[in-house]
Amino acid sequence: MIRPTFPYPIVETKLDNGLPVVAIPLDTPGLIAHYVAVRTGSRNEIEPGLTGFAHFFEHMMFRGTPRFSPERYNDVLKRLGADGNAFTTDDWTCYHVTAASEALETIMDLEADRFMHLRYDVEAFQKEAGAVLGEYNKNYSIPFNALFEKLADTAYTTHTYKHTTMGFLRDIETMPQQYDYSLKFFDRWYRPDNAVLVVAGDCDPERVFELARRHYGPWRAGAASLRTPAEPPQDAERTAHLPWAAPTLPLLAMAFHAPAFDPGAVEVRALDVLAQACFAPTSPLYRELVLERQWVDWLAAGAEDHRDPTLFLVLARVKEAAHISGVRAAIERTLASAADAALPEERLAAVRSRLRYGFLSGLMTPDQVANTVCHFFQLSGTTGAIDRSFATLDDVAAADLVRAAGTTFRAENRTVVTLIHS
Amino acid sequence: MKTVLLPSRATPFVSFRFLFETGSIDDPRGREGTAALAGAALAEGGTRKLSYEQLLEALYPMAAGIGVQVDREVTVVQGTVHADHLDRYYDLVRQVLIEPRFDLKEVSRLKDDQENALVAGLRATDDEGLGKEALMAMMYAGHPYGRPVEGTVAGLQAIGRDEVVAFRDAHLTQDRLTVGLAGRFPDAFADRVLADLAGLPTNGAVRPALPAPKKASGMEALVVTKPARAWAISLGHPIAVTRADDDFYPLFVANSYFGEHRTFNGVLMNAMRSLRGLNYGDYSYVEAFVQDGGSTFPLPNVGRRQQAFTIWIRPVAPAHAHFATRQAVRELRRLIESGLTRAAFEETREFLGHYDKLWVQTPSRRLGYAMDGAFYGTGSLPEELGRRLPSMTVDDVNAAIRRHLSAENLHLAVVADPDGAGPFVEALGANAPSPIVYETETRPEVVIEDRSIAVEKLDTDPRRCRVVPADTMFEV
Repeated sequence: MIRPTFPYPIVETKLDNGLPVVAIPLDTPGLIAHYVAVRTGSRNEIEPGLTGFAHFFEHMMFRGTPRFSPERYNDVLKRLGADGNAFTTDDWTCYHVTAASEALETIMDLEADRFMHLRYDVEAFQKEAGAVLGEYNKNYSIPFNALFEKLADTAYTTHTYKHTTMGFLRDIETMPQQYDYSLKFFDRWYRPDNAVLVVAGDCDPERVFELARRHYGPWRAGAASLRTPAEPPQDAERTAHLPWAAPTLPLLAMAFHAPAFDPGAVEVRALDVLAQACFAPTSPLYRELVLERQWVDWLAAGAEDHRDPTLFLVLARVKEAAHISGVRAAIERTLASAADAALPEERLAAVRSRLRYGFLSGLMTPDQVANTVCHFFQLSGTTGAIDRSFATLDDVAAADLVRAAGTTFRAENRTVVTLIHS
Repeated sequence: MKTVLLPSRATPFVSFRFLFETGSIDDPRGREGTAALAGAALAEGGTRKLSYEQLLEALYPMAAGIGVQVDREVTVVQGTVHADHLDRYYDLVRQVLIEPRFDLKEVSRLKDDQENALVAGLRATDDEGLGKEALMAMMYAGHPYGRPVEGTVAGLQAIGRDEVVAFRDAHLTQDRLTVGLAGRFPDAFADRVLADLAGLPTNGAVRPALPAPKKASGMEALVVTKPARAWAISLGHPIAVTRADDDFYPLFVANSYFGEHRTFNGVLMNAMRSLRGLNYGDYSYVEAFVQDGGSTFPLPNVGRRQQAFTIWIRPVAPAHAHFATRQAVRELRRLIESGLTRAAFEETREFLGHYDKLWVQTPSRRLGYAMDGAFYGTGSLPEELGRRLPSMTVDDVNAAIRRHLSAENLHLAVVADPDGAGPFVEALGANAPSPIVYETETRPEVVIEDRSIAVEKLDTDPRRCRVVPADTMFEV
């Protein structure tokens, strides 16, 4: 029996068409969150010239159906006083609405309808391409975004994580010509057997299931099974530099290829612990670089959960370009020592506590709860991955950390990107 | 000392908010940035017993922090902790508030961070934030609202540790404090907190009166130049109402209809983004709005005694900047001339009557909104809307629009690339037509309206248009 970490009851079922439906009753009087996660993101953009499409498609999902034009869709949500939006990541696309609990049936009706009957014309498609370019432009003045773009492009050769969720700029610019492809994209991926519905908040699970059967039941199964190309092992260090026109502080990114999410894999959770032990504000490195020498004003590290092998990323914002090499050397020393010396048990316990309470403090609203459950479900196909993953964290021992550091933090597995004002 | 207590057993967490009615308006002259630095140094400067490193060490296993948010008139020390750690956490908060160390090493680090936030952050890499601060600088020239909370470069450089300590002693005082607690705390806990806070200085400096903001005559433009692939635009004018005034609420309804933040409800969003694909978003505000992280909702506890009506046009292609400005002004003119229809009013009222529940989803946010009510001498914003919306009429809304909004006397701030700024200002000053050409299919009625937008008259004059390099903003 796994020790439960997730603090609320999870009640789930699966519709005949393969759509998993998860209900999480919470003590949030009068409020619910309705989340649909489509397990498709920029990792599925395998065709050349068509990057950024998962994200673009997220925008298109607001362009209407025969029953609900975009104006009518918005009018209904508006009358409900709902907060509705969407986001896209490397691995999944999420459509979420938070509203009064009595609105649940209307929301199901509205949301299920667009998953089954989305329809838009060429003009709407092309105007939305303008909004997506606007989004890219708004992001572009932020150096971190440019750095991530460069890092992904350098660290990956083959896998689709090579491009960010926004896509390559050259592809964003040709989006207006890809109307037909957008229809194909919808047909391939927007299927109940490639999605999950999560309702969290003031709800009765049986009622959620009944409404889900009524509204999502007719959605036809048939998700595509196209393979994302695997990234070959990296055999030599890669570096890149990004000059930046505006006066900004230098950024240093160091990345290592790391395993995909797996709730039972000690080596995955070991990297989460290492990220904390080596780089959190209580780490010796943070003390040295941020508090004592004051060379760095921002330091962070970790491997985000991904469906495919990902990157363990160390990011430092350095105050002066002259200190970049010193900062880099200090990071490398820290990572090398993680592969040499065992972490004291007391420190390991503090990290476990930090991760556990940090997780719980992110579960205060129906939104946060539904989002978290979708996150784990899209990664693993089960809700059980949450508790499993925390049970694995409890199993991580000092020797696992040494092993994970030795396997991951190798020079030939490393990519280093700098961004400096020039 | 005022108190706001919202105990609840429905959550395992406890949230704290200590709200002091002080902020950057209290910065000493020539030491602009002191309030923000004092706030940061309170949180990160250690305590009499603990260095900052030791404080971090103590907070770490709880996954809790002690944050300080400093705005123009309000400083709030806040945190949320799991009830498992309540006593240990509170002991740290108490030390931070009552026994701050203001370690010289940390003060100097934080001062450095603050200058970087201004120079390498706001001025260099945050075009949208820079556009908004440039607008504040225009609307509030010669007024303490007219500079960022971070201060000015020269002001910051002149601040020493002693001034930080003096600022805390004179402004983070009992007479300016509202204590807020929410969530799972025991019955006697609040009394203990209040008894401890008697250790703060009783009173200090007098809260300053604010001068009247500057009214634009016609359209006044400030173009801030820096490398920019797309241009961020903000425009607006001060208004005479805040949540403390009856007219604020009908104006709030009008604004929701016109430009509700990050929704497709607004007139601006639909006209500019949906129909024309000009950019990512277009919104409007009748009070200071700071988005809470990645959510749609504003941070609580940015109360101000003076507010402004503003329009935020997210970055547009340089070729569309003049057109986008004209379109926003045209929509505003239409709002003022025609007002809301009865149907639009009913829809918006219905929306707000539900939507306000979403602002207060966590104990900490509920507490923040309740404390804002205490700041303005009203109920919380959801309470006030709940009380006022049922009897509000479309005439109230349209009258409030006419009384408080202007499409003629406007400040316009644009963050533009240096090469494009000159021609833009010239075209703006001359009211030259700004036709738009789309590379994509566009419906005929939009194309027809575009012809009118392209020549929409703005009351500009070359003498009221300035071009300023970004790296000279907020120097002194």
